Amino acid sequence: MFHRLLIANRGEVASRIARACRSLDIQPIGVVSEADADSAWAKEMDEVCCIGPGAPTDSYLRGERILQAAKQMRATAIHPGWGFLAENAQFAALCKQHGVTFVGPSPELMARMGLKSPAKAAMRAAGLPVIPGSDGPLANTEEAARVAAEVGFPVILKADAGGGGRGMRLCHNDAEVRESFALCSTEALANFGSASVYLEKYLAGGRHIEVQVLVDNYGNAIHLGERECSVQRRHQKLTEESPSPALTDDERRELGAMAAEAARRVGYTGAGTIEFLRASPNEEVGPGKLYFMEMNTRLQVEHPVSELVTGIDLAAWQIRIAAGETLDLTQDDIEFRGHAVEARINAEDPTLDFRPSPGTLTKFNFDLSAGPGKLRLDTHLKQGETVPPHYDSLLGKLIAWGETRDEAIATLLAGLQAAQVEGLPTTISLHESVLQSAAFQSGDYDTASIPGWPPVAASN
Amino acid sequence: MTKYIELKAVRDGQRTLLTVPEVGLFTRALTRGSLVFGGQDVGHLLQLGSPIGLRVPADISGRITNAQPERVLAPVGFGDVLYELEPITAGDHSEAQEDATDAATGGLILRSPHTGRFWHRPSPDEPAFCKVGDLVSPGAAIGLIEIMKTFTQVGYNDAGNLPSAAKVVKLLAADGEDVTEGAPLIEVKPA
Repeated sequence: MFHRLLIANRGEVASRIARACRSLDIQPIGVVSEADADSAWAKEMDEVCCIGPGAPTDSYLRGERILQAAKQMRATAIHPGWGFLAENAQFAALCKQHGVTFVGPSPELMARMGLKSPAKAAMRAAGLPVIPGSDGPLANTEEAARVAAEVGFPVILKADAGGGGRGMRLCHNDAEVRESFALCSTEALANFGSASVYLEKYLAGGRHIEVQVLVDNYGNAIHLGERECSVQRRHQKLTEESPSPALTDDERRELGAMAAEAARRVGYTGAGTIEFLRASPNEEVGPGKLYFMEMNTRLQVEHPVSELVTGIDLAAWQIRIAAGETLDLTQDDIEFRGHAVEARINAEDPTLDFRPSPGTLTKFNFDLSAGPGKLRLDTHLKQGETVPPHYDSLLGKLIAWGETRDEAIATLLAGLQAAQVEGLPTTISLHESVLQSAAFQSGDYDTASIPGWPPVAASN
Repeated sequence: MTKYIELKAVRDGQRTLLTVPEVGLFTRALTRGSLVFGGQDVGHLLQLGSPIGLRVPADISGRITNAQPERVLAPVGFGDVLYELEPITAGDHSEAQEDATDAATGGLILRSPHTGRFWHRPSPDEPAFCKVGDLVSPGAAIGLIEIMKTFTQVGYNDAGNLPSAAKVVKLLAADGEDVTEGAPLIEVKPA
């Protein structure tokens, strides 16, 4: 096991990984930007090194500085957290070259999963259903038009190296495909450095369901169930739950087993997530069918909901696997109990189109005894702290567990209502609306709209 | 080809602080008392095994007032202060200035090979190895350097590039003084 591990990240995830390190008797070592030098989370580390000014491009994205900091503070492993360098194969390779363990899968696998069509091809070969479309990048307009006619309209053109909902073009007919192909390719080159474009059938709405897997270096693979992440705004997840209300127990078992086996077959190691799209029940071809979307080669923000229903510490297991330990859990050891729901509390104003709102937290209190179930708060912030403008808006996550889905929802709602967060606008009111909406409570919602938001004005 | 970066100058009253805009192991540091000017190379930073040359920003000059780091490869982080500079003034009796004067009169400076404490005598009740006016020749001891309770003899012409005989002109480091690597110990003139 490692003695000292450097966390190449900040904020909530840095705090979460530091906690996992302590549980394994590892000293957490940190890197900070000048903007984070006095933050409470940095004090959770045994040692920190400043790596640059506040802007991420000058600090948290500077792989060489971070790796050098790890070397001179005598850390033998680097945990990238999520965001920043977490899915950067170059950085993982640099760590390997300098003899520092990167907590994650191999750089080669990260590179393959980072590009959409190679990832799709690898997962199709590993047995996962994929959305009908082109076999990899399209050579020219003619090929695009031919594939579009085969899969049926509407289709979507996507940049191979794109992500986060950017670099995509929706086409409803042959003329639109012909018109968009060259444009999409040029845009892809300008934005992502690669002109590769592929095409797939466009599925409107649908549900975002992802499976958590753990795979060790010796071919042992298990899944920890799925997470339902369909409450989204512009591809940003807001409220997540496990298990998904959309799946039957048989579907759940089948999907989980399929995901774990696919991860093992592509040579994945560590904690990972395979994202699926469940087609809308109104889809003409394959209603309700599950398709592979992408694999996230890292720990995810919403991992606590899986931890609460399985009792497995994902962050600790991720480190143990990186240290070469054998995954001594079999699928039969994983018991799914109850239901968990998570609310991401962001410093954003939901009434002003989610405008990010950095500032000072004049009040930041939570009552974790609220509600009938259990509450967990994952945060790196303390009352009185200032949220810097350079980074993402996540203030923390409130996660509720209950014996039943209703109990979990009631607990999260009670926790949010008891929370006192002042000094800046947050998404708490949004979550209250979502949890109280009929659509969310029934479990019948999809990515097309946020259930219960915007709230319907009281009629009087 | 070595890459060079400029240190960042921060004004602090009369002083100027030179901070490092990178992370790495700092080496080849200049000694206290050295004069530095804009564009000058003032050490290296090793980052992942590659050296990065460190330069003084164009409009900055001064005399170094801080000691060298204790470690030859000193770990530094972004924004750490590498040098503290004070303004260069006329009549400033710094070692650096003496170096300049001495060079003009043909004097040679013997410098400390290590950081440590400089002693004139082998033990407190024995006479000094040398005093002003003595003739020294290769192999002759001029003092002791104490590092972590270990004493090392400093000999005249250990490097083998000095005249075969020389006369001690001045003792520059006091008996028992803390010296850094490269600090002037005694001044001699070819005899």
